[in-house]
Amino acid sequence: MKTKMVTQTDSSHKQVINMHVQSQAVLEVLNLNVKYEDFHAVKNVSFSVQEGEIFGLLGPNGAGKTSCLSAVEGLLVPESGEIYVAGYDVKKQGLLARANMGVQLQATSFQPELNVMEILKLYSGIYGVDLTKEKMDSILNNINLRESRSKKFGQLSGGQQQRVSLVIALIHEPKLVLLDEPTTGLDPQARRQLWERMEALRNMGHGILLTTHSMEEAEAVCDRVSIIDHGQIINTDTPGGLIDKHRNNPEVIRASRKGKITLEDVFIGLTGSQVRV
Amino acid sequence: MQAIPPTSTVLSSLLRADLTTQWRNRKSFMLILLVPVVILLSWKPAIDKLGGTFVLGTCLTLGLIAIGLMGYSNSVARDRDKGVFQRLRVAPLPTWSIMVSRLAIQLMLIFLMATAVFIAGSYFDKITLSASGYIMGYLASIMGGAVYLGLGQMIVGLIKNAETVHSTSRLVYFVFIMVGMLGELGVLGKEIAEAVLWSPYGTVKHIIASSIHTGSWDVSASKALVATIGYAVVFSGLGIKWFKWSGSEK
Ligand SMILES: Nc1ncnc2c1ncn2[C@@H]1O[C@H](COP(=O)(O)OP(=O)(O)O)[C@@H](O)[C@H]1O
Ligand SMILES: [Mg+2]
Repeated sequence: MKTKMVTQTDSSHKQVINMHVQSQAVLEVLNLNVKYEDFHAVKNVSFSVQEGEIFGLLGPNGAGKTSCLSAVEGLLVPESGEIYVAGYDVKKQGLLARANMGVQLQATSFQPELNVMEILKLYSGIYGVDLTKEKMDSILNNINLRESRSKKFGQLSGGQQQRVSLVIALIHEPKLVLLDEPTTGLDPQARRQLWERMEALRNMGHGILLTTHSMEEAEAVCDRVSIIDHGQIINTDTPGGLIDKHRNNPEVIRASRKGKITLEDVFIGLTGSQVRV
Repeated sequence: MQAIPPTSTVLSSLLRADLTTQWRNRKSFMLILLVPVVILLSWKPAIDKLGGTFVLGTCLTLGLIAIGLMGYSNSVARDRDKGVFQRLRVAPLPTWSIMVSRLAIQLMLIFLMATAVFIAGSYFDKITLSASGYIMGYLASIMGGAVYLGLGQMIVGLIKNAETVHSTSRLVYFVFIMVGMLGELGVLGKEIAEAVLWSPYGTVKHIIASSIHTGSWDVSASKALVATIGYAVVFSGLGIKWFKWSGSEK
């Protein structure tokens, strides 16, 4: 447990107030191992996500990011390790753990025949949320889908689908939010907008676990990142801390361009320059 | 802290969504009805020779095969491919509720299909049954439906790719219709006719035909019932055992 400064905007007074909140882990992953038959996809991974924090799992394709999340979500049974969501053991209290997390899967989809309102109704029922007409309207306004509320999910654009799946992940105001490569495939405007939404969530005290292979994204929004490759966490720190720590690493210097060291240089320096498929 | 929502709300939400999805796909249900109705229309001259219950039994069986193989297996494969199941499974609901809701919809489709066949039979061909004949016909259809839903489950259990499930289920459906119907009528020879009798096609047709014809249930019908239950248990058991929720799992 640690005390952390949180900046919150009080919209009615248009002023910024600072307050102290007790920050605690909304997700704890301890010595996680995931195997697919013989293949050891996640090796002894440990990390935690605090309240009011955006934590990034940063790694190339096939690093094991989705496998880590799948274990947290209960979609796969890990070989070994312990996982606690809001204090609930994923193994023994799966339903309670899942009630306290909101999930956007890498390949999220809903029935393409259902329209936006029907999807909202389905998931508010599943999460036991009372969806009043006012609440429905405010959600639809918030994600700019009021006009398209009767459109079927299959007919929405990629950005619109992404907004629907994010709002479903948040419909029960979970303590922990898991976002698996949410900005992959979005245009720059939609990506910025999503970053702002994530920051707003952090400021409301949600803990966010984000996976990405974009250094720019990790530097822009993450409070802390773990670099993961070949199923192992190589390093965990703030983005700035990672750059400082590895500034003098010869591999990192070799990766750098124009004399400036970025998180990407650290990433390439630590994970190698080999192209992943 | 978030509490676990009551199972009744979860189930009713799932049912409403599955019902809506089914309604939006009503065209494919019309296709399921097509073959039985065409038979009722085109076999009209032969009904006196074959008997009304034989024709109704055949039509109900074909409808059940279409529901299990064309409807159920394809919708499950499609939703698995789209990640619909994975998204549901990360919510705080018991996994069985997802399948219970789906099966409830299939049960409803079996009722609708049987009702359509009964109505078409009486309208086009003047085949009418006693009240108990209709009731037994519904019950036997549910029993037979379980065999083909199980077979559909087995196909999605064995095959991961939605496209392949689609073509395979179509092929199996076609084989069932051709070999089942023609074989039973003796067109394909005596051995095939004998084999068809104890195949999932023959036993289901047998129990349905015996159920709707009040007073015709005999020992061979009871044997067919035992075989039908056996098929249903084996197919759905294997189908569930082999089933993977995610299409990408290797
Ligand atoms: N269901 C599976 N069966 C076998 N191997 C898998 C499965 N899912 C993932 N893998 C393998 O595990 C490794 C990590 O995959 P994944 O967690 O999806 O990585 P990431 O999300 O970082 O791209 C990859 O090498 C991938 O091929
Ligand atoms: Mg991934």
